[in-house]
Amino acid sequence: MRKVRLDTSHGAIVLELDDENAPATVANFIQYANDGHYDNTVFHRVIDGFMIQGGGFAPGMKQKPTRAPVANEAGNGLKNRKYTVAMARTNDPHSATAQFFINVADNDFLDYKGPSPQGWGYCVFGKVVEGTDVVDRIRGVATGRSGGHENVPSEDVVIRSASVLA
Amino acid sequence: MKPTLFLSDLHLSPDRPAAAEAFEAFCRGPARDAAAVYLLGDLFDWWIGDEQLDEPFAERMAAALRGVTAAGVPVSVAQGNRDFLYGPRFVRETGTTRLPEQIVVDIGGTPTLLMHGDELCTSDVDYQRYRARMRAPETARRLLALPAFVRRWMARRLRKRSRDETALKPESILDVAEDAVVAAFRAHGVTRMIHGHTHRPATHHVEVDGRRCERIVLADWHDRGHWVEAGVQGLVRREIG
Repeated sequence: MRKVRLDTSHGAIVLELDDENAPATVANFIQYANDGHYDNTVFHRVIDGFMIQGGGFAPGMKQKPTRAPVANEAGNGLKNRKYTVAMARTNDPHSATAQFFINVADNDFLDYKGPSPQGWGYCVFGKVVEGTDVVDRIRGVATGRSGGHENVPSEDVVIRSASVLA
Repeated sequence: MKPTLFLSDLHLSPDRPAAAEAFEAFCRGPARDAAAVYLLGDLFDWWIGDEQLDEPFAERMAAALRGVTAAGVPVSVAQGNRDFLYGPRFVRETGTTRLPEQIVVDIGGTPTLLMHGDELCTSDVDYQRYRARMRAPETARRLLALPAFVRRWMARRLRKRSRDETALKPESILDVAEDAVVAAFRAHGVTRMIHGHTHRPATHHVEVDGRRCERIVLADWHDRGHWVEAGVQGLVRREIG
């Protein structure tokens, strides 16, 4: 299992990544981390009771360029349980690039149901092993509208750096 | 003369296969022999945007509707309080027409006011505040701009909240308010209205400015399919399933 530490403005979050069940997704995430993509990005969508999403925008809601999408490995049996990390994407099941989210509740409706556009689900590829308290602090921040987006933290929640630990 | 059919509160959902089958039977049978069909809200238990049509269940229900409109029967759909995000794709793929919140149509020579009916439940102040917020055009635009997975989460939360809050409220405030009914009859100058929403099927009479007015409340589809048929025999309640 690989680990990645996210040093955020609210404290450190350590993610343990399941490269056995989600090899392509983990490799994709680690490459973004090693490339420094996540450094100085924000959690731009924070919905308490649901999830916190980040990894795609610099402060000021400036979207960052990404590589080609990664195949959706949501059929790997991993569930969108509280404190798991999964890839965000558009309606196209195979459109995940850099953005990810940490579930802050059990979100079983995001799990893989079958190979249809609505059934593909969202690929879980790891879980928080340190810093659940940090996740809890982030999910509790005040949010509002910014740059045409909803649920944006009123004060930036910044990922200062993402370091691959092992 | 072919009849006109009115139904509401089907709350179609994969969790309620019996209602879905009843709706398909309705669409294959009675609906095709009608002059027109009016769906007065909450056809689906939730509608969070037209990409829901990519789900096999919603597509199956849309196909049933399409069968009716393809047979040349006009089908008009009002939004309910659960399914207020129908968009152009739904309209296109079902061949249906969107209804405004309230409309007066001539049914066998009687101008009849049609609506979902939640706007009549004015005793439930919290609900009316919530309704005003959700019905604002700005809200629809903002909701539709959210990613699909966020809207799915919201739909689940709203359904749960609706269930929880309804369970806690006194029966009286969940029904229509008599003064709102009178005001609606007066505002539209009609003597008949048909609506759903309350899941309390009945025909009520009320005197408004010396005129005897009739209010027909449609039944939900939780046990079986129900609709009101307006034809040569007047208004008749029918069932299927």
